[in-house]
Amino acid sequence: MTPAGTRELEQLWREAAPRVLAALVRRYGDFDTAEDALQEALLAASRQWPDAGVPDNPTSWLITVASRRLIDQWRADSARTERERLLAYQTPPDELVGAPADNPQAGTDDSLPLLVLCCHPALPPPAQVALTLRAVGGLTTGQIARAFLVPEPTMAQRISRAKARLRQVGARFPLPPAHELPDRVAAVMQVLYLVFTEGHTSTAGTGLLDVSLSGEAIRLTRRLHRQLPGDPEISGLLALMLLTDARRAARIGADGALVPLAEQDRDRWDRGQLAEGIALIEAALPSGPVGPYQLQAAIAAVHAEAADAGHTDWAQIEALYRMLAGIAPGPMVTLNHAVALAMVAGPAAGLEMLEPLLADRRLRHNHRLPAVRAHLLELAGDRDQAQQAYTAAARLATSIPEQHYLHARALALGAPGRQA
Amino acid sequence: MKYVILIHSNPDPWGHPTSQFTAEGRAVPADRHEQMDREFDALLAEISASGEFVTAEALADPASSSIYTWSPEGRTATDGPYAEAKEQLAGFFLIDCATRERAEQIAIGFAGPGSTVELRPAMWPGADDQ
Repeated sequence: MTPAGTRELEQLWREAAPRVLAALVRRYGDFDTAEDALQEALLAASRQWPDAGVPDNPTSWLITVASRRLIDQWRADSARTERERLLAYQTPPDELVGAPADNPQAGTDDSLPLLVLCCHPALPPPAQVALTLRAVGGLTTGQIARAFLVPEPTMAQRISRAKARLRQVGARFPLPPAHELPDRVAAVMQVLYLVFTEGHTSTAGTGLLDVSLSGEAIRLTRRLHRQLPGDPEISGLLALMLLTDARRAARIGADGALVPLAEQDRDRWDRGQLAEGIALIEAALPSGPVGPYQLQAAIAAVHAEAADAGHTDWAQIEALYRMLAGIAPGPMVTLNHAVALAMVAGPAAGLEMLEPLLADRRLRHNHRLPAVRAHLLELAGDRDQAQQAYTAAARLATSIPEQHYLHARALALGAPGRQA
Repeated sequence: MKYVILIHSNPDPWGHPTSQFTAEGRAVPADRHEQMDREFDALLAEISASGEFVTAEALADPASSSIYTWSPEGRTATDGPYAEAKEQLAGFFLIDCATRERAEQIAIGFAGPGSTVELRPAMWPGADDQ
């Protein structure tokens, strides 16, 4: 037993929780009750460990306590046989966890089956996200609720419905058959990227007890990458997150205003994260099929390698967007592609690429199309049209900092604005 | 993304569910009301199960409101209603959806006899990458 501070304790059981849960689900089969038992074991740990000290093997301790809870519950359930109970008691907790594979110190990381289960296709994306953060990330319902700016009961509901739904569809542990695995891993990546963008784009969760969703997404993607190191799209996703997150400090100016990429102070970019991201994507690209995460990471890497905005290799970025449009076409890709094309071939070429989007009904409420048009019109020297497009974009923006930015651009071109 | 679904209606007398108290609602046969109620319950169950439902309130008679205004001389309180409009704000739902399309798909199910439904995105403090 060793004493530990609250921070270390939280770190410790967030590392241990998914392994305990995986062990319980593998042994007892029922995700829903296993998760409840884990929460009770964590509660017991939070009461006992600060005073009594951390047990030498916290994972085994949690498995033992959670198993007792599960078995107590089953005692009440006459459908379970005596044999099952005895067997459960007789299995030492270490056996449930399984033998460490490559790193005996750190123990096994078997969060992959748990991730795949939490991102089950029967669940809607918000439920996948919530369940992943709770079961694999080891976050509390309150922390997840604060991060997503919803009331705690809403998040609790989301999680309990998700668990009930998994039980209803008979979602099983461990991994699905090999032919289903690529699709299921793709769903996991999508969920982790959703968590990342939520954290990267929001300003929520800045309180002392709040967690950084982008940091959490990077942590979980690292674990996924460690378990499937040969998957180039997972490398691409991790690289994309690192390269994007590296710019975080430079995104918001001293006055809280949004700073666009071209105007960011590149000295404030995190060089360590950039180097790691670049190394990851450089290793991934030649190794297998190229997917959308790898291409987006490659684009971010080209930006990262430019000493300043003027030295950006736009020709390479334009070529990467052309590839991205080939494998994952969509209006948002076209918008970014148009900007890159404008930088290579002039604003008129970019504006021409935007033309078909003007009739796209999916974009009629989206501020990005008029915002990109405004930028290209300004580059083309058409101040009046640019000002109108910035104003139109500001009307559609739902992000307060973005709306301020767009108003400011329109104001600089002579539009009426708010009081200076 | 959070969206507010605003229910504008003119129940007379003021009451909830508003569709039972509007002239248009009274013109609808009982079995049609029952069918709409079932559909609405199913919609609420769906968005509760998906975690998209955040909160909702039905509002009291606009005549019960108090109105406060500001002028350079100071603030003034008067009795409601706020506006002698044909339709008043009768209630709201707050939903949290992945896309605008999804929010639209949900909101249209809130339209009922004698009420107009307005879907408005909520502003948020963060920002997407440019």
